[in-house]
Amino acid sequence: MEKEKNGFAFYAHIYKKILIQDLKSKMSYRADFIISTIGMLFTNVAGFITFWLIFQNFPQISGWTYHEMLFLYGFSMLALTPVQCFFDNNWNLSRAIHSGDFIKYCFRPINLFFYYMSEVFDIKGLGQFAFGIGTLAYSWNKLGLPLSFRNIAGLIIGVLSASLFMIALMNFASALHFWIVGATSVMILIFKFKDYARYPITIFNKFFQFVFSFIIPIGFMTYYPSLFILHQERISILTYLTPVFGIVFVYLSYLFWMKGARQYSGTGS
Amino acid sequence: MEPIIQMSHIDKTFKVLKRREGIKGSILDLFSREHTLLQAVNDVSLDIMPGEMVGYLGPNGAGKSTTIKMMTGVLEPTKGDILVNGRVPYENRTKNAQDIGVVFGQRTQLWWALPVIESFKILKDIYRIPDRVYKDNLEYYDELVGAGQLYHKAVREMSLGQRTLCDILAAFLHNPKVVFMDEPTIGLDVSMKSKIRTLVSNLNQSKGTTVILTTHDMGDVDALCKRIVIIDKGTVIYDNEIEHLRKYFGAYRTVKFKFKANRKDTKGMVAHEADEIRALLAYKFPEAETLQVTQEEQWVQLLINEEEARMMDVIHSVMEQKEIVDMNLQEISTEKVIQKIYEGGVL
Repeated sequence: MEKEKNGFAFYAHIYKKILIQDLKSKMSYRADFIISTIGMLFTNVAGFITFWLIFQNFPQISGWTYHEMLFLYGFSMLALTPVQCFFDNNWNLSRAIHSGDFIKYCFRPINLFFYYMSEVFDIKGLGQFAFGIGTLAYSWNKLGLPLSFRNIAGLIIGVLSASLFMIALMNFASALHFWIVGATSVMILIFKFKDYARYPITIFNKFFQFVFSFIIPIGFMTYYPSLFILHQERISILTYLTPVFGIVFVYLSYLFWMKGARQYSGTGS
Repeated sequence: MEPIIQMSHIDKTFKVLKRREGIKGSILDLFSREHTLLQAVNDVSLDIMPGEMVGYLGPNGAGKSTTIKMMTGVLEPTKGDILVNGRVPYENRTKNAQDIGVVFGQRTQLWWALPVIESFKILKDIYRIPDRVYKDNLEYYDELVGAGQLYHKAVREMSLGQRTLCDILAAFLHNPKVVFMDEPTIGLDVSMKSKIRTLVSNLNQSKGTTVILTTHDMGDVDALCKRIVIIDKGTVIYDNEIEHLRKYFGAYRTVKFKFKANRKDTKGMVAHEADEIRALLAYKFPEAETLQVTQEEQWVQLLINEEEARMMDVIHSVMEQKEIVDMNLQEISTEKVIQKIYEGGVL
């Protein structure tokens, strides 16, 4: 029984239950739901317009065409959906810590990180997901990419692995709250990096290519995994390593977060 | 019977960063950090038997929450042995959590947006509560406090009292062996306080749950606990039956009056009224030597020792003479009792 209790099925079941209830209650606050959906729509449309305007003036950026760039754009939106939907409570960590509410998460017989994150499911992420699918489908079509098994599988695995990087970055950034005051600015900074993830890292100079691959690995959030479909001739070893790096990176961020949580609950009242 | 909580010679020290003064100091702090050791808990030994209700008291910063955190497995003691339900709590926090319940007066542990019953259903899954136990508990709760009518209300739409009630019910839902309560009646009105106290007392008796109660309200302890443990500056300074302390809090009552004003000069008038009341009570209750009448801003405050004069009699005498606009019966804070213990030299 103990084994079952710590198992994936147990947590999936609990998450599903919380999620369904959460959605139900969100739907019941209809105005709030509609406004936040519209807000998300506008944010995405605005981002898209900027993108479109740039390409009205430049037909290509470092040899990347409009539709290729659009592909990356859609890919990055999909890759950012999980962090938006499932890990949004990271943004509330600062408040939970300063108000002392965080301690209440320590008394349940389930994993602390899971319990904390399960509390918020951000439905706005779904709008982003739909937007991403649309953008991706459009550019896929325009680029005449084959709808093969290889490409579809590559897309799914690519998006899933790419999504791990933003999750990990946000975990790292929010966990800083356990040690320092004002870590929110770090979170905002890190979150801004997602905008750079939309561009092929080849447009940056060598220095930033290195930084975005190995220091703040946003290259993995779109560029490397999408090469698998978009530019088979340019696939690098990093493309294949994306899932491995992603899993390792998320695991490290989880350890860091838990370490912070443990040392935080060990201090003061 | 084996104690359910055993603590022997527990120490807990924290490393605290020593901050230097001024800008120069802050810069120095960046490079070399000096730590001082803060002993939060010092050689605490405590045995608590199953089914006991213990009032765990102490001023802020005395080490109360540090001790509770060690019992719940959130903190590891620096020194000493601790066993809760026969387990070392910090070695397996999640396993220990299965057998304990925690209630905070100020912060709810229920899901804010959900109706209570949905929170209960999630807890049922988290704690793996058998269907039978779950159903019985819900029925029992309904019988006890009419909880049924609250089940479909969202927590965020509840009053503080209702929320506290539901939080307590949630903490007992998985039939934990020990429940820790931190200020369960804080901010509640008199009738809700008494409802909560009755509920906790019933739950303790029917389920045999051990309850550790921290509070600043002596009324909670008086209504619920037979045993009191007082901690101050990290050391247990008192551990005995409440009866021995009753003379320090049981007999004294503080009551405040505001009288109908018939003059503009209110300040002088309150002083004058206090004099009047003092003379009146000295005449009516000659044996009440410790009865004090003082002026507290707009109020006339009376400290009554009930062994000398019954509070209701005193209030009655005052009412006969004066027209009372407002009256306030103050609860006795645990701090006052602790202060009296020090003064009285019980230790």
